[in-house]
Amino acid sequence: MLLIRNLSYCYPHTEKPALAGVSLNAERGQILGLLGPNGAGKTTLISHLSGILQVQQGDISIDGVPLAVARHNSPTRIAVAPQEYAFYPMLTVTENLECFAAAGGLGGDRKRQRIGECLAFSQLERFAQVRAERLSGGLKRRLNLAIALLPEPELILLDEPTVGVDPQSRAFLLDAVKTLANNGAAVIYTSHYMEEIEAIANRVIIIDDGKVLRDGTLNELLNDGVAHVRLAVEGVIATQLRVLLGRFGSVESIGEEWRVMLAPGQTPTALLAAEEEVGGRLRHAEFGRNNLEQLFMTLTRRSLRD
Amino acid sequence: MLFALIKKELLALIRDVHGLVALFLMPVLFIIIMSLALKDVYSPAVKTLPYVVDNRDNGQLANTLLTEWEKRHGKPQANITNWSNEVKSGKLSYALVIEKDFSKAIAAEKLTGEIQARLITDPGLDGSVFAANKAELNMIASELRAQVLLTSSLMAQFPPRAYRKAPDLPVTVSANSLVDAERLAAGSRPTSVQQNVPAWLVFGMFFVVASLANLFLQERQCGALARLASLGVPTSMMIWSKALPYLAINGLQAALMLAVGVWLMPLLGGDALSLVGIHWGALMLVLLAVSMAAIGLALALASLVRTHAQASAVGPTVNILMAAIGGVMVPKFVMPEFMQRLAEFSPMNWGLEGMLAVLLRGSDMVGVLLPAAKLMGFATLMIIIAVLFFRRRAH
Repeated sequence: MLLIRNLSYCYPHTEKPALAGVSLNAERGQILGLLGPNGAGKTTLISHLSGILQVQQGDISIDGVPLAVARHNSPTRIAVAPQEYAFYPMLTVTENLECFAAAGGLGGDRKRQRIGECLAFSQLERFAQVRAERLSGGLKRRLNLAIALLPEPELILLDEPTVGVDPQSRAFLLDAVKTLANNGAAVIYTSHYMEEIEAIANRVIIIDDGKVLRDGTLNELLNDGVAHVRLAVEGVIATQLRVLLGRFGSVESIGEEWRVMLAPGQTPTALLAAEEEVGGRLRHAEFGRNNLEQLFMTLTRRSLRD
Repeated sequence: MLFALIKKELLALIRDVHGLVALFLMPVLFIIIMSLALKDVYSPAVKTLPYVVDNRDNGQLANTLLTEWEKRHGKPQANITNWSNEVKSGKLSYALVIEKDFSKAIAAEKLTGEIQARLITDPGLDGSVFAANKAELNMIASELRAQVLLTSSLMAQFPPRAYRKAPDLPVTVSANSLVDAERLAAGSRPTSVQQNVPAWLVFGMFFVVASLANLFLQERQCGALARLASLGVPTSMMIWSKALPYLAINGLQAALMLAVGVWLMPLLGGDALSLVGIHWGALMLVLLAVSMAAIGLALALASLVRTHAQASAVGPTVNILMAAIGGVMVPKFVMPEFMQRLAEFSPMNWGLEGMLAVLLRGSDMVGVLLPAAKLMGFATLMIIIAVLFFRRRAH
């Protein structure tokens, strides 16, 4: 449904591009997880899709139609639920829905019907007459989502929709997002919570410095990851052990334990044998592939971002 | 601990640029503007008012009076034959009319009671200036009469025969009954209410700036505007959706303020605002123009500022400065010449002039066309600026 090819964008008065040759696609009925540290280019990408930024270089198309044309013909095909509470705090839940429904071109019975459906979908009926500013964080998130769904969009962009909500609201929102995809919408979901992406995304894209670093299904990404060994050893001094483990890959100290990202061709068996040879006593060992968070940290490096 | 907390407070203050502007720049600007505006307040403004002379008497005494008047008030404007319109519109503050029998009447032993010198003033002329000018004319005329009579009396002490009995007659020295001042007929009475309501109504209407700008910022910062834009709402519709409610609010403000003047002020013992005989179409036109200018300015500022702090500092500051410069806080006529010129650049002054033209001078649509056009032009310019920045800021 959505196809982005070689999208690049540079903000005025900056030299470094915010996006540099990004390509991706999103399909109906699927959830695309978009991962990236702060400043990676996620917001710039979403701003393009929501029509805020014009394409400088590259192509974005919806069902083969250039995005600008598709948006012009039917701006409500794409909906954005931004990270902020993008509604009017002084209005009630219903008044907000009425305002944005009218802005989206809905009227009459259709408008009333959609407001009712969105209230029900987000389970906000009980709060319909409550001013938005008096809602809890979780309810505000649900209202944010409900507003995005009013015009029945085909592509929904959810920008960190679970920030600052309790576990119950998070579970509800994740279920709601899955329902949207099951009902045939294409969903792009950005989050810093890896377990959320692991739980709901059909495909994952990791983006950093304006470039796509990985694009694939969750399984593809995790299988692609580096094998690692995590172990705790007694009887060998730390400096000696670090040198020994360093022969098998990159070493990281985690409290009293060590984690070795195995270099190509190295095996955990050889590593454990070498450790025993120097008189080490194995207290604990764990072998496996990266989870999404480890892959993300490896790809985007661990340095702190803005 | 106290030191650390004081240091924190000072750092917070120093880094709040807009707060500092309000704390320091505002009072400085106020001192400058108000001092300049009030520079001549203790040297009466009566001396600098533009006036014209209509001398219908060719006698020596009329010329003497005019010479004396000129000494005190400067030279009159060049001959303006149709001074009535100029005075009515406020371009001239007054006309000094000397009737054809002035010289004869002022020297006569017995006063006829006919007015021979009159000031015909701008309907909106300040009451104190009006009274001061009238008193001064009376004084000059009386002085002149006294001199003439004294000369006659001295001559009578060494009389040719004809004057021998003159000093025995009762003689009135005061020329009060020969002198008068009147405002050019306007249909409504110039009172403090008549002058104050327009000034503060215009000032109040411009205060939508702060309200509109803050609401706009709130929408922008929470992403609601970006959301509306992404739903395909055109910029022009967003602008109109803001302008129209405030147009209605300005309308309500105007109705309320006029009602206060008409009905509440008399109940409080003050003068009533008179709307009798005013041109309602002209009033509506001026109010609409003031409202459009205020909303245009509000939209432009709302589009230009980035934070609530900026909106809170810039909006009221601009309003108060426009009011100080524009003759709302300090009447324009007491300002020195260059401040009066400066006042003509303040949209509040255009609004005020338009309102005074309707409420004091009884102007019709044609009479308020110039201030209304200036205000509409200003509104257009501001809306263009707003549109240019609106889309960028909405995102």
